[in-house]
Amino acid sequence: MSIQEMRRISGEGGRETFELIIGPVHMETENFSIIVTVEGDTVVEAKVNAGFLHRAFEKLAENRTYIQNVPLLLRVCVPDPDHAETAYSMAVEQLLDIEIPDRAKYIRTIVLEMARISAHLFWTFGMSAAVGLYTVGQWSVADRERFIELFEELTGARIYHIYNFPGGVRYDLPMGWTDKLMKVVNYMEKRLKEYDKVFFENDILITRSRGLAKISTEEAISLGVTGPNLRATGVPYDFRKLDPYAAYPYIDFEIPTGKYGDAYDRIMVRRREIEISLNIIKQAIKELPSGPIMAPIPHPLYYNVPPGDAYARVESSKGEFGFYVVSDGSDRPWRVHIRGPSFIHGVQLLEKLLKNVRIADIPVVLKSLDNCPPDIDR
Amino acid sequence: MMGFQVLETSKLLNYARARSLWIVTFCTGCGGVELPPTATARFDFERFGIISTPSIRQADLLLITGYVTPKTLKRIIIVYEMMRNPKYIIAHGSCPVNAGIYWDSYNTVKKLDLYIPVDVWIAGCMPRPEAILRALVKLMKMVKEGKALGWKRYLENFEFYRKNQDRLFGKDWRKREIEKLRFYIHD
Repeated sequence: MSIQEMRRISGEGGRETFELIIGPVHMETENFSIIVTVEGDTVVEAKVNAGFLHRAFEKLAENRTYIQNVPLLLRVCVPDPDHAETAYSMAVEQLLDIEIPDRAKYIRTIVLEMARISAHLFWTFGMSAAVGLYTVGQWSVADRERFIELFEELTGARIYHIYNFPGGVRYDLPMGWTDKLMKVVNYMEKRLKEYDKVFFENDILITRSRGLAKISTEEAISLGVTGPNLRATGVPYDFRKLDPYAAYPYIDFEIPTGKYGDAYDRIMVRRREIEISLNIIKQAIKELPSGPIMAPIPHPLYYNVPPGDAYARVESSKGEFGFYVVSDGSDRPWRVHIRGPSFIHGVQLLEKLLKNVRIADIPVVLKSLDNCPPDIDR
Repeated sequence: MMGFQVLETSKLLNYARARSLWIVTFCTGCGGVELPPTATARFDFERFGIISTPSIRQADLLLITGYVTPKTLKRIIIVYEMMRNPKYIIAHGSCPVNAGIYWDSYNTVKKLDLYIPVDVWIAGCMPRPEAILRALVKLMKMVKEGKALGWKRYLENFEFYRKNQDRLFGKDWRKREIEKLRFYIHD
């Protein structure tokens, strides 16, 4: 902890509370800071001071055409940009009233699941650093590189691959790409067992996260929590099943749920999601149809979108990621609203959960929620 | 003393400094995603003696990874001034150069060079880990030759930098920042 400042605010009756400012220069908080009031080493109250990354996406999107917005708006969620671009593309497709071709649907599914796995592997790095098991962090980032390399071959970029476009996907799969992907998927399945031994079934992780920062289902639903954090409380709530998009209605998969809603359940839900995503990729490659990859859109760069509004959502690695786009009939959106998942579990839920947690457990709670500061600030 | 070459102290110091640059772990912006891959098993910058350290006082190198908002710039300036004196800055990505894709945003700093001295720039959004490694190696070379003098520039032109900072944030922004935090806590 580097920029942290302790100040005494009251000393009545022998009880002393201190204020501790954690972040933004901190290994775990990434880019937002938490101001916690501490008594002894137990947190009494926590407040989140976000806004270090506010770039005003919602305003910038109004000055750009619908196509120019794709490379802009995917930068909302940095570890997991594919879900953002897909959600925005789906909203524009709804406005244009386009159905994307079958091959594009399957390719989107493969790309989204790869994005989910790489986001979860990136999260494993942060989680392992929070607990102090650095070996797993080295492994998981190196394994993520294998998926990133495949992304690079497919799209040309490592992180921001502007690939899912309104109307389909931009490029067809290269020759022999699916074979390479199958190799990586098989490798990853073997590798997960080693992860279990070193990290997920490790006593250090279990003792540090079991029973920590519990939430009940009602509480989570009333706050609006979605994604793995809600699933860890025992609700199989997933838009891939409830409101299927891309090729998910044709694919058979289960949704992992937790039991107690504590930090360990949240960790294990994410670990099981990696396994299920690998299965989804396998199925999607097997059933991959041939055909066009782009639906005909009016003009590739410049088109007027009929007036109306549309909300499209996807299940990203962090929860429900939605775009609400309002069109006034011109070539630029009239309003774009972004519904990021981290705004809820990174601010409201975190403030609630940090109460009565010890200082050493703050990073564990923070990382088990998997929040993404750029998506809070937007 | 045959066969020995007497090195100047400054040269020896520069050699030592170039071989163990320690980084502040302060990921400002999106570029933070490319730092873990650069630090870990695949492209490993620890072989150059570069370690990321959580402590500001022990670090020599500040990486500015991505766009800078005024709120972050305040922290960057505070962190930079807290670092010990031979200190270097690498700005990473297109956003610190000219705000990149956010050129028309009301909340990004357009020219970082006006507020703090930058030694090496990396272009691209995102720069690849190889590009980051190349910039680090270039900085090591510059430090070895005694050419990375951003910290000296900052001392010599302190008035200039301070004037620009005050123009952006208003005078006495440090005091007001602390007051704002206090307000934040109590309300």
